[in-house]
Amino acid sequence: MDIPIQILVTGLTMGSMYALAAVGLSLIFGTLGMFNMAHGMFMTVGAYVVFSLASSLGLPMIGAVLVAMLTGALVGILTHLLIVRFMLTGTDFTTNVIVATAGLAILMEDVTLKMFGGYPYQQTVGVSGTFRIGGVVVSLQSLVILVVAMVCIGAVAWLLLKTRFGRAIRATAMNRDAARLMGVRTNTVFLQVMALAGALAGVAGLMISTVATLSPQMGGDPLLKAFVICVVAGLGNVWGAGVCAFGLALLEAAIGFYFGVRFGFPAMLILVIAVLIWRPQGLFGKEKVVRL
Amino acid sequence: MTGLQRHLGFGLLVVVGFAALPLVITERYMLGEIIVFFIWAMVAMNWNVLMGHAGVFSLAQLLFFACGAYGVAMSVTFLELSVWQAIPLAATFSAGAALLVGMACLRLTGAYVALLTYAIAATVHILIITETECFTLIRNNCQQLFGGSTGFSRFDDFGFRPLLRGNWVLGHYYVVLAAFALTIVAVVVIIHGRLGLAFRAIRDNVGYASSRGIDRKTYQVAAFAITAFLTGLAGGVYAAHFRFAGPSLFEFSTLMFVLAMVVVGGLGSTWGPLVGTGVILIVVEVSKEMGDARNLILGLALILFVMFLPKGLADGADRLMRKMTGRARRGTEEKPPQET
Repeated sequence: MDIPIQILVTGLTMGSMYALAAVGLSLIFGTLGMFNMAHGMFMTVGAYVVFSLASSLGLPMIGAVLVAMLTGALVGILTHLLIVRFMLTGTDFTTNVIVATAGLAILMEDVTLKMFGGYPYQQTVGVSGTFRIGGVVVSLQSLVILVVAMVCIGAVAWLLLKTRFGRAIRATAMNRDAARLMGVRTNTVFLQVMALAGALAGVAGLMISTVATLSPQMGGDPLLKAFVICVVAGLGNVWGAGVCAFGLALLEAAIGFYFGVRFGFPAMLILVIAVLIWRPQGLFGKEKVVRL
Repeated sequence: MTGLQRHLGFGLLVVVGFAALPLVITERYMLGEIIVFFIWAMVAMNWNVLMGHAGVFSLAQLLFFACGAYGVAMSVTFLELSVWQAIPLAATFSAGAALLVGMACLRLTGAYVALLTYAIAATVHILIITETECFTLIRNNCQQLFGGSTGFSRFDDFGFRPLLRGNWVLGHYYVVLAAFALTIVAVVVIIHGRLGLAFRAIRDNVGYASSRGIDRKTYQVAAFAITAFLTGLAGGVYAAHFRFAGPSLFEFSTLMFVLAMVVVGGLGSTWGPLVGTGVILIVVEVSKEMGDARNLILGLALILFVMFLPKGLADGADRLMRKMTGRARRGTEEKPPQET
């Protein structure tokens, strides 16, 4: 009985972090049609800012989460204002923006490396202590991660479904031109989406840094997983991304446990490719009828 | 003279120019730099064919480069083949790998392809750097089957050292130049031949192209495999020249390094990537002297070019020429509808 519980705990902890990253990524893709290669760096920056503030001032967990959110949102807003805004109306936006954000990712990674060095720091905020479920020792930090992720994703769901602001986002995602004709300020919506997704990424980065270490490359691995999650859910499908994050994390934990950690992700990827051969639009994506 | 003949003629000029260069430049360091230029130019030109002409945004190009390099390194180390046999073998292996990846990924289009190819390349990278089990012992050092995080080094190269003594680098120079020339011919024939026409037809309007009997998937998989063969060839000569193959060949910063060459040079042109490779190599060389700002500059170059000159230097020069000569050639720039 202990092994399934262990897998469940690991899977849920990882799933929470993946979900935070994947929901933001999916939200951006759904609304702007943009694939954000710099999303991993949004996470890294969130984690590093909390680290430097916490080591000089000391922060409680709640404060740390808020700081990470604000930092992430700020990075998202700056990315939109300085880069994405100018490209939205250009041709080949989908591919060009991938190149631009990939460039941004490597630039930000280099700046982080120059400022903090490559030393793998330990995140200073976090809760210590453990409790037991059956025979399995679970750290309190895992519980915190799960709770924070649930609260954040719940808040995003509420924003999207129950508020005017969310309705504007959903309308823009469905049909940009129609939304604009109905008086939605799409440019503001884009900015809000970048801020929201950035905030989620910042929290994701903080959570990841509490269980791993800080390094300029720390965002790369979760980003890769978030990519795969978004693709399998159908790009731009926010709910699917959340569900798939937990599903794939559980699968990864199970394979990691039985076959070794290094095969967890490759197995996930092979499964995803198999799914895509069967349903190219993704598990939750609607089949698009394209008129030529 | 047709476009194909004109461009082939220009290619010949380029190759002859480079073949004559050792008469002027004799420093080993400079020749080494030019060899590096040949190798990256090969990768960049092929990426341009795939991305700029066939419209497949693949981020696995460096994986196929690594396939070539690892193919040579592994067959020389484990099978004791000579480099000359290993290079064609490795290039073929690379094309085979691309065929598989292509058939899996190219059911999808657009951003999905970019993501999946990126994920596949990154997965292989992770699998290789996390490998710790020793496969054999070489010179009392642990040698993993795929080289682990250090990769392969110090295996046999072309074998010019005993033959040409101090001038061994000249041997390398002409072998790599031969591979470079082969790539130029292949790329020009593809771009300016019927195949390139089909590629661009699909890129510009999938629906219209398929209604004229050009199947998107078949042609894109073909583009994938052909360019991977030539990219693998570049990887093979890289491994044979440097006697090295390791995971650094296809990490993210190397991917951005080559992507910058393609983007700065000009996507969708014929000779742009050649210019881009030269420019990026010089810029990176200069940046080495001003502290290690390589990635910073690459990132900045990618962002700025995509924002202000998305068709690269080739298009910029073109526009400048047109403005200077005052020719009003308008209406030639047709804008394809967005892919679906």
